[in-house]
Amino acid sequence: MPNVPAIEFRQVEKIYPGSSAAAVTDLSLEVAEGETVALIGPSGCGKTTLLKMVNRLIEPTAGMIRVFGNDVRSSNPVELRRGIGYVIQQVGLLPHRTVAQNIGTVPELLGWDDRRVWARVDELFDLIQLDPELRDRYPSDLSGGQRQRVGVARALAADPPIMLMDEPFGAVDPIVRKALQQQFLEVQKRLGKTTVLVTHDIDEAITLADRVAILNLGGILEQFDPPMAILRDPANAFVMSFLGHDRGLKRLSLLPISSVKLVKGPAVSRSASIEEAREMMERWGVDWIALADGDVLHGWVPGEELDGASDLASLALRRFESWLTSDASLLDALDVVVSSRTSAAAVFDGDRYLGMLSAETIGREIVT
Amino acid sequence: MIADGVIDLGWVFDHLGDMWEASVEHAVLTGIAVSCGLVLSVLLSLIALRWRRTYTPITWVTGILYTIPSLALFTFLVPVFGLSLLTAEIALVSYTLLILIRNIVSGIDGVPDDVLEASSGMGMTARQQLLRVQVPLALPAIIAGIRIAAVTTIGLVTVTVLIGQGGYGVFILRGIRRQFLTEALVGTLLSVALAVVVDLLLVGVGRLAMPWARRAGT
Amino acid sequence: MIQFLGDVLGYLLDPSNWTGARGLFSRIWEHTSISGLGVILAGLLSLPPAVLLAHRRRGEFLAVSAVNLGRALPSFGVVGVMFPITLSIAALTSPLGYWATLIALVLLAMPPMFVNAFTAVRDVDDSLIEAARGMGMSESRVLLGVEIPLGLPLIMAGVRTAAVGVVATATLGAVVGYGGLGRYIIDGFAQGNDVLIFVGGLLVALLALATEVGFGWLEKKVDPLRSRRIRPPRIPTLRDTGIRTHP
Repeated sequence: MPNVPAIEFRQVEKIYPGSSAAAVTDLSLEVAEGETVALIGPSGCGKTTLLKMVNRLIEPTAGMIRVFGNDVRSSNPVELRRGIGYVIQQVGLLPHRTVAQNIGTVPELLGWDDRRVWARVDELFDLIQLDPELRDRYPSDLSGGQRQRVGVARALAADPPIMLMDEPFGAVDPIVRKALQQQFLEVQKRLGKTTVLVTHDIDEAITLADRVAILNLGGILEQFDPPMAILRDPANAFVMSFLGHDRGLKRLSLLPISSVKLVKGPAVSRSASIEEAREMMERWGVDWIALADGDVLHGWVPGEELDGASDLASLALRRFESWLTSDASLLDALDVVVSSRTSAAAVFDGDRYLGMLSAETIGREIVT
Repeated sequence: MIADGVIDLGWVFDHLGDMWEASVEHAVLTGIAVSCGLVLSVLLSLIALRWRRTYTPITWVTGILYTIPSLALFTFLVPVFGLSLLTAEIALVSYTLLILIRNIVSGIDGVPDDVLEASSGMGMTARQQLLRVQVPLALPAIIAGIRIAAVTTIGLVTVTVLIGQGGYGVFILRGIRRQFLTEALVGTLLSVALAVVVDLLLVGVGRLAMPWARRAGT
Repeated sequence: MIQFLGDVLGYLLDPSNWTGARGLFSRIWEHTSISGLGVILAGLLSLPPAVLLAHRRRGEFLAVSAVNLGRALPSFGVVGVMFPITLSIAALTSPLGYWATLIALVLLAMPPMFVNAFTAVRDVDDSLIEAARGMGMSESRVLLGVEIPLGLPLIMAGVRTAAVGVVATATLGAVVGYGGLGRYIIDGFAQGNDVLIFVGGLLVALLALATEVGFGWLEKKVDPLRSRRIRPPRIPTLRDTGIRTHP
């Protein structure tokens, strides 16, 4: 069945008992199969409520939620949940079961035989790169990052087509979070699960999601677009203020270096004369010169060393300390460029020298 | 008294057989009381957990039972059941209830919310959640309750001699009647020793049943 | 059954059963006076060391041992052991079994009081104590002005537990010849008189419950935070800051 969304919210409303304000108001949204959607907004925007309505931990007051075309209310909540992976911020590992037993929980609930459960657990250890030593440990022995990964593995155990993740990386320190996000992207590239992710971290949403749904208080959907589109064209003032003043910089993080034109830069051939080198330095207004031939970058020399030299080949070359690979983002590039003496970074594709990326080039991308 | 030796070791060695018999009686009286108490407490705890409003009245009634001195509780039962084993056990069981119910309910209530959310999110039924998550995680509190109940009951069983039951109380009562320190002391020390042994056994059972809690230091 | 309860009521309503050296009043006095004395002596012996040890953050092992010993010691056994020991000491000066009962009461009341007082002081928030020291309070001031007041409800809970236990154990004094309400129960057993047994049990039970309720009330009364627990904090208005005497 083509064009059936994996998850569909249709005019969903939620008003908690005893509360006059709606947590979610007339919200419609579709998540395509294989897509990662991030739900983001200030606290009280109903993002977690929305997520929990998919596996019926919370029931909507009005409207309909469909999973692969079927109204969730028509299925038994217990059965429904066994078919949907669920990851929460505090992880909620069962403290009395070993890591392996935790990961095998849902397959066990589904009645798989032991051998199949353990084989599956092995696969998942592999997939999320967990140390097999940890199999028979208890959750209290794990670090925060390991717990989160076990939580993700547990949710993936029965190979559910859909994953719901409620601030899955919120409880770990920034360095571990970066690593977990990277791993999420790698795993997602392999598995392509339809994923709904709740986060309060706009950078996380931009990094991980194919589309981002920005919600306002009362569960009002303000914008639902790919990260690039949201950064480029915020739908309204709310979205703009939610993105923050560094919206331009955030956009840079999504643009690879390969998306901009590189310059040849203040570079001459190794066989060029001293005069040619001086001329090039003057043209670029810099006090250094790079020596390059085709896709080979030899190095650079400071301008004052040209004085009294007979030819370029006799000079001791310095290595470029500031260099980048072409798949890095422009934000990474900006970081390298502003902290380098040469205010330009050499860009390589593997060993191949592609050209120079200057601060001006990056600056033009921030403005547009 | 000092000249004769405060403790009459000869008497002790002559009565090792009696001590063994009394130990068995004492252990049986305790065992019946604690196991019946546990069954009843589990039932009452399930009621209290299912219908929250019943928890306060349940703790009220069991609290009153717990406060009434054992001898007084016996007297209420004697007119109905006589000086019997049943009288003794009803009283002993009623002392275990408060301790056990409080520990069971607070143990189950103490299961962290995130664990509950995760387990229902994974598709456990309420029953699976209770048996696979809540009860195992409440086990440290439940076993702590059983330990207190068992140790307390062992002490109380000594009093049941006054309504014609056996156990170490027999030595104590005879010691009083004959003004014979050794016998009263033997009864008391054996009771303490049994309490210590049972307590350690329960600690051991707890360790076996809860490998995950070993390093946590519970 | 009705007949029986009628007999119990009849016994209680007969004024001649209340007066005299063996009457109910005298037995109740025997029971309460020895209990009260036992609680006071046990308190004097156990509370000061508990509070001091806890203040110095020492004696953890002693506290743990006291918990276990307190639970494992059979009260009947302690009374039974004390009886032969005290017989020779005081048989002439006091009623039979008085000293045995009193010493047993004190011994049994000490562990719960010690443990509760110890944990009460030990568990006072460390940051509060640090703040108190930081403000220049002397050690005794920290103990008397911060640790004990904040720990008082828990200390009183220990006293309550001990007192209820003491009232119960005092009943056993009758087994070693002392009076008190246990007399009715023991004599009743001996004579096969269920009415006497029941009267004794009823009064002991009521006394124990009264002790529990009374000390429970006291416990709430001494809680330094009680007013704040009952009422939400009042936000002072401008007028409240003006000088005003209360009527």
